[in-house]
Amino acid sequence: MTEDKIKNLLQEADRMAGQPAQARIDLSALRRRAGRRRLASLAGPVAAAAMLMIALGVWSLAIKTPEPTREQEKIVSLETQIKQLQASTDAALSLIHEVLEDERRQSRLDELEAQLASIPDPLETIRKQVDETAFILVYQADRLYRELNETESAVETYKRVIRLFPRNQWAGVARERLSEIENRRI
Amino acid sequence: MAEMIDDELLVEQFSRGDESVFDRFVERYSPDVGALANRLLGWPGEVEDVSQEVFLAAYLGLKRFRRQCSLKSWLFTITINKCRSHRRKQLLRLRTFSRAAERRRLPSASTACENPTDMETFNHVRSAVAALPAKYREPVVLKYLQELPSDEIGQILGISQNALHVRLSRARKHLKGNLNKHIER
Repeated sequence: MTEDKIKNLLQEADRMAGQPAQARIDLSALRRRAGRRRLASLAGPVAAAAMLMIALGVWSLAIKTPEPTREQEKIVSLETQIKQLQASTDAALSLIHEVLEDERRQSRLDELEAQLASIPDPLETIRKQVDETAFILVYQADRLYRELNETESAVETYKRVIRLFPRNQWAGVARERLSEIENRRI
Repeated sequence: MAEMIDDELLVEQFSRGDESVFDRFVERYSPDVGALANRLLGWPGEVEDVSQEVFLAAYLGLKRFRRQCSLKSWLFTITINKCRSHRRKQLLRLRTFSRAAERRRLPSASTACENPTDMETFNHVRSAVAALPAKYREPVVLKYLQELPSDEIGQILGISQNALHVRLSRARKHLKGNLNKHIER
């Protein structure tokens, strides 16, 4: 019974309050607002992602440039020493390579010189041949003069030796013989 | 039944991208939404602002409507939520400007009554409803003023039938305590 009374009272009070003014729903404005809401709902995650990226960037920068601690200073010092050692090792190795290369070159040069030494000197050979030829001529001239008494032929041969090999020792011998023959003729 | 089929069609068309059907949707439901908001916010409420918010939420959420309840129930659920937020904001504003709170405490009738005593009674009744906590005011408005069936009210408020009956019973007790002299009359 009380429920019915309350219901009637409420409905009467509601009726007496009247209907609310018809709400004007501006549909174009509503669509614009909906568009903005959709954008805003997208903007949140995008902004959050951007913030996250910035935070990560700042964090990575902070990680990259921390205040140097004692251990880090030691590490830096050790790294410098290692680099110096590395540089001196490289220099020593380079020097060793140069020395080895010099030795190799010297060894090759020695080999070449030995080979060159083993080759007979052509001038010396010619000189010997010249000496030998001059000797043979003087020897023949001596036989013509002493054993065969062919004095004229012997003189001619001695003169030939002097003419052909004027500076050779046998040219001097040929001059002595000619002088000897001249003396005997006088 | 025809209304339900029409609602189905409307949602289907909207989901397929035909947003022009929303005009029809607003035209059909804005009086109900306005009336409910007016009652929940305490005669007269700021119906226009709340209605705008309700239809904006509906516009944004209609494509996700799962058809687990009627479109009207869904819209009433949104209206109740928007009214709650609106009242919270209003309460904060009223706390800030206490003088304004005094002025708004007793809602006045918009239409004239036949005699001043009736007007005073109905003002008192409306004040009593407006003063109820939200969990009691909402079932009262939906049951006695919107005259919705209990199962639909339970669905809209997201509570069981037992909880609804308990809340209605307590609400009546509150109202009876406040409006005793008018009920006995």
